[in-house]
Amino acid sequence: MTRLARRALPVVVTVLAVVSATVLAACGGGGGSNTSGGSTSASTSQAKNGGTITLIGGVAPDSLDPGFGYTTQAAEPDWLSYTGLVTYAHKSGTAGSELIPGLATALPQASADGKTYTATMRKGLKFSNGTPVKASDFAYTVERALKIPWGGSGQFIAGNIVGAKAYAAKKASSISGIQTDDATGKITIHLTAPYGAFLNVLAFPSLGIVPSGTPMKNLPNNPPPGVGPYEIKNIVPNQSYKLVRNPNWGQGALNIPGIPAGHVDVNVKISSNVDANALSVVNNTNDVYDWADTIPGSLLPQINSQAKGRYQKKVMNSTYYVFMNTQEKPFNNQLARQAVVTGLNQNAMSRLSSGSLIPGCYFLPPGMVGHPTAPCPYGDPAKGGDIAKAKQLVQQSGMKGQPVTVWSQQRAPRQQWMTYYTSFLNQIGFKAKQKLIADASYFPTIGNLKGHPQTGFADWNQDFPNPIDFYLLVQSSSILPTNNENFGEVRDPQIDSQSKKLGEVPTNKLNTIASQWQSLDEYLAKKAYIGVFGYQTFPALISNRMSPNYVFHPLYGWDWSSFSLK
Amino acid sequence: MATSSAPGTDLSTEISDALLGEAVELPPGLGPWRLAWRRLRRNRVALFFGGVFLLILVLCLLAPVYAKHIAHQGPAAENITGTVKVGGKAKDVVSTTGIPVGPTWHSRYFLGADENGRDVAVRLLYGGRNSLEIGFVATAITIFFGLLVGVLAGYFRGITDGIITRVLDVIWAFPAVLLGVTLGVSLALGGIGPLHGNTLMVPAVVVGVVYIPYVGKPVRGQVLGLREREFIDAARQQGLSHARIMFSEILPNLGSTIVVFVPLILANAILLEAGLSYLGAGVQPPNPSWGTMIADGIRTIPAAFHNVLVPGIMLVLAVMSINVFGDGLRDALDPRSKVRIAR
Repeated sequence: MTRLARRALPVVVTVLAVVSATVLAACGGGGGSNTSGGSTSASTSQAKNGGTITLIGGVAPDSLDPGFGYTTQAAEPDWLSYTGLVTYAHKSGTAGSELIPGLATALPQASADGKTYTATMRKGLKFSNGTPVKASDFAYTVERALKIPWGGSGQFIAGNIVGAKAYAAKKASSISGIQTDDATGKITIHLTAPYGAFLNVLAFPSLGIVPSGTPMKNLPNNPPPGVGPYEIKNIVPNQSYKLVRNPNWGQGALNIPGIPAGHVDVNVKISSNVDANALSVVNNTNDVYDWADTIPGSLLPQINSQAKGRYQKKVMNSTYYVFMNTQEKPFNNQLARQAVVTGLNQNAMSRLSSGSLIPGCYFLPPGMVGHPTAPCPYGDPAKGGDIAKAKQLVQQSGMKGQPVTVWSQQRAPRQQWMTYYTSFLNQIGFKAKQKLIADASYFPTIGNLKGHPQTGFADWNQDFPNPIDFYLLVQSSSILPTNNENFGEVRDPQIDSQSKKLGEVPTNKLNTIASQWQSLDEYLAKKAYIGVFGYQTFPALISNRMSPNYVFHPLYGWDWSSFSLK
Repeated sequence: MATSSAPGTDLSTEISDALLGEAVELPPGLGPWRLAWRRLRRNRVALFFGGVFLLILVLCLLAPVYAKHIAHQGPAAENITGTVKVGGKAKDVVSTTGIPVGPTWHSRYFLGADENGRDVAVRLLYGGRNSLEIGFVATAITIFFGLLVGVLAGYFRGITDGIITRVLDVIWAFPAVLLGVTLGVSLALGGIGPLHGNTLMVPAVVVGVVYIPYVGKPVRGQVLGLREREFIDAARQQGLSHARIMFSEILPNLGSTIVVFVPLILANAILLEAGLSYLGAGVQPPNPSWGTMIADGIRTIPAAFHNVLVPGIMLVLAVMSINVFGDGLRDALDPRSKVRIAR
């Protein structure tokens, strides 16, 4: 799913995060917590309870209703307020990618053919408004996500669950592939085909259970009751909202192992001036900076001197790339695409984002199973691009002088990246111009096939730790007239068949096919279907008041339930 | 003489009175234009700022010469990972954390670099060319259409006046920047007619259209007065056509008004263009303008203040010099009027 500030639940903290977290733990003397692993471990029950902290972010959630919210800004609070059948461990680093039972008594079991999943709803659960939770609420939640519709519903629900397509098309009154029994709490889900990441699908915050009868429409300002350690309140659209601790969490049926109660209430403020936001946290006016925002390089010296020990860079599973339309001139020519990959100077692009990019050439990011270890096919990206070779390739391709429109978002550093990219294309022999699109409408615009976008900015942040989440973007079946995500219109039978086959393997068995994913990713890189320009690092900045023993989750970034005051 | 004045305009109808009345006060042998020139020559401040503007104009026109022979770098050429010698030492044009080098006071990067490693001095001059080009084209559009609709409305009155005035009222009802942003954003994507979205003509047309009522309405007011004058009656008695009366009798009498308007509209057009470009609705990257340069520089203020300061100073200088010169011109042509374009 995920695209930062559009839709996104980035993440999977890699080795660097582990190292940085260790450093944090070493220098973090925050009172009240005995968390030995610092930010690499779950927050402990001995952290100081009580108080309110303020998180400041540059972008408002697309909706706090889990049935619609799809951005990282929505996923963070929804994850804590709407627990699904399955959820993720509240831990930093790769440990946070572990699936744990949420409202189900255990992880749903798959049948031998991988097409049927069964689960049992815990007994005695209640929504935040006191209504008892029933097994049928799960079916209703899925139907609601399809009806609203949630942005990932087509891909992950309609594409997998039997009868979901018919329900979405209003050809059925319910989803035939989901059976529930309120008396026993049993839930059975039938899939159209095996899908290895289906448990991850069930863990989406958008499938966090809501009561049956909740209006089948997006409720951004008055989201429905949920089950979780927090409840969302006091929403002022595009300005603020509050996450209040659930006083009953951790007691009776609401004591769910692995899902801790929060230590503090969280006020969330939205202000588009991310520079001022960063300074306010440095100056301790606010407590937490939204990790999905970028800190300008010009502020880094001040942050490093004034907020030493309170600022870290976190690595997550994200890939930043330029798409190249393989069906349109000039990038329907492989040599032209190779020219781009060969000449692109990733060091330059990193400088445009305050040095926040890690160079690379493969679609699968380094923290993802299947990330190739082989050298990049068109030169070491860390050494900068080979312009001379790129010019030569453009000449050979016969595409010299071809007009190219570079599509770009407006916000920094994405605009600056594409400005550089446009200049680079001109340098190697194309006739490029930049086309700026407002941030909110950028992806729908380039996702409209009628626009024939030639090349431009794209990024992907993992929805779940499975390579298939990335390869959905280059499968020919993903090419849609509108809301297309396969921007380069990649149509490669080998990628289609191989990724479909590998996608059937459950996430917990990915290691058995890691080499096959590696081979496929090397093949993608050799074909130069996309021009990767790096893997993004994200800022973790907190105030002096905060305990540094927080969890930085690999999918959701800040784990607000781990926040505590010193 | 009473003329109707549009609500919201500060453009006094005194201008018409003054211009019309001035002919009576002229010393024998001196035409109004020569008299105005005499007055202007006595206004040293206005002449000084006129000179400043002329200097800016010449410098901006020489941008390609500066880029080719002094900076050796074009306005869109990026050099992010390059180095430049400062004080005998090689320094990154853009540091690894994205901070651009400041002014070197040498031929290369004289005023420093922006975050894409481009030469700020080169972009400043090219940006000035673009800003001024848009300003002049927008002013021409505004003056032409403002005159056209103002003369038609004032001369024919009645339903023609009603329709034109209402249309101008609609445009007027929108704050200039808001209307500019709306038009700029929508046109920047697909362009309009033969104009492609990322050409300089799009912001020029947008700015020009936005200011039409600011000229059209005062002109209409003045024409309403002129059409009642005896020489117009005489022209009618001679059987001259409407077009001829408007073109040969009324238009010449609007000459000094237009001369006064040009610098006012030009200064406002440059400011509006800068505002629109700052907001992303004007000049599109990688083309520079003073507005886009300020917008680009905002992110680097704490470490590279020059990226905002330099285009900001140029913008202030250009607009102030046009305004002061325009004031002088107005005083010279019409010492009694208080023409202002602000709302």
